[in-house]
Amino acid sequence: MDTATIRVTRYRPETGPEPFFQEYKVPYRNDMVVLDALNYIKANLDGSLTYRWSCRMGVCGSCGANVDGTPKLTCASFLHEFKGRTINVEPLPNFPVIKDLVVNMEDFMRKLVKIKPWIIREKETPPEQGEYQQSAEELERYQQFSSCINCMLCYSACPIYGLNEKFLGPAATALAYRYIEDSRDQGKNVRFPIVHEMEGVWECTLVGECSVVCPKGVDPMLAIQKTKILGATNALRSILMPRGGR
Amino acid sequence: MTEKTFPELRRKLTSGWWTSNRHYVQYMVREWTSLFVALFSLVYIYGLSLLATGSRSAFLNLLKSPAMIAFSFIALIFTLYHAVTWFYLLGQVVPVKIGKTTSKPWQALVANLVLLIIVSYLVIWLLVLR
Repeated sequence: MDTATIRVTRYRPETGPEPFFQEYKVPYRNDMVVLDALNYIKANLDGSLTYRWSCRMGVCGSCGANVDGTPKLTCASFLHEFKGRTINVEPLPNFPVIKDLVVNMEDFMRKLVKIKPWIIREKETPPEQGEYQQSAEELERYQQFSSCINCMLCYSACPIYGLNEKFLGPAATALAYRYIEDSRDQGKNVRFPIVHEMEGVWECTLVGECSVVCPKGVDPMLAIQKTKILGATNALRSILMPRGGR
Repeated sequence: MTEKTFPELRRKLTSGWWTSNRHYVQYMVREWTSLFVALFSLVYIYGLSLLATGSRSAFLNLLKSPAMIAFSFIALIFTLYHAVTWFYLLGQVVPVKIGKTTSKPWQALVANLVLLIIVSYLVIWLLVLR
């Protein structure tokens, strides 16, 4: 068995205001990930280490951390990839830290709700009349954007969000676009003002790192630019066409 | 009993944030090269104003000066870099779908470069060669 050196950020506000690093030596097999190492530390070396996790298989999105300087799911970062190096594990950047690796995600949660992530109908039809139907092509238009697991890695990778926390940000816009592109949805007029306000999509300057770090292959950068294009064409149409092109 | 709350740790991005990762550096270079596009335009507008006010020789001397030649060369390289990176991004953001195949970003880059060469040639032909 090899041994990995894990250097974890500790922030313990009850004992002091400054964060510090603590190093642990963890024996590991080839199939072990950074989350396994954190669990080993908590079970065997230091029970006070605090972090979030749940599914261990890249589905729940709760174990994100800055691993070796890059936002990653700790359950998807294999220890052997860092062989011979000290592995830095820090709380996700751009979010306030509550304790050790646990960040405050209130702001992100507020933004998720803000874009109204549900199907809006002008008039609901009763369930007896059947489902709102959709073709395979219509599904394909938004499917990748519905794979988001709300792990917030994209927000941690986004310097625009780091500089201005009012920015609506990658995941929330990707989700808004997912509903805007959904053929069953009729809420464009409700969502457009939200995504196009001052700190909405126009704040994005196309750094593109959100799409690089996404563990689920979602492309929030694309969703944001598509939303910009939709907004711009909509505005043009409302100016040039009679009755706003409706 | 109310729970005791502790302050959260707020971390600010430092001014050197973009040096932490290769992609951020590429982004910063892409954005800064636009400065040379703007600078070249300003210098050129100044040159044109010389020409418009009848100082043809002053305009030609400006164009011939070693500093202007050096600046134009640097501006050309940076403008090309800016154009290439944005053409590539264009292909990423607005892929063209023909039948069942979707265009790749490099195809948009090539198509736009070819278009740029054709349009530039047309302008040169209209203004100079004709």
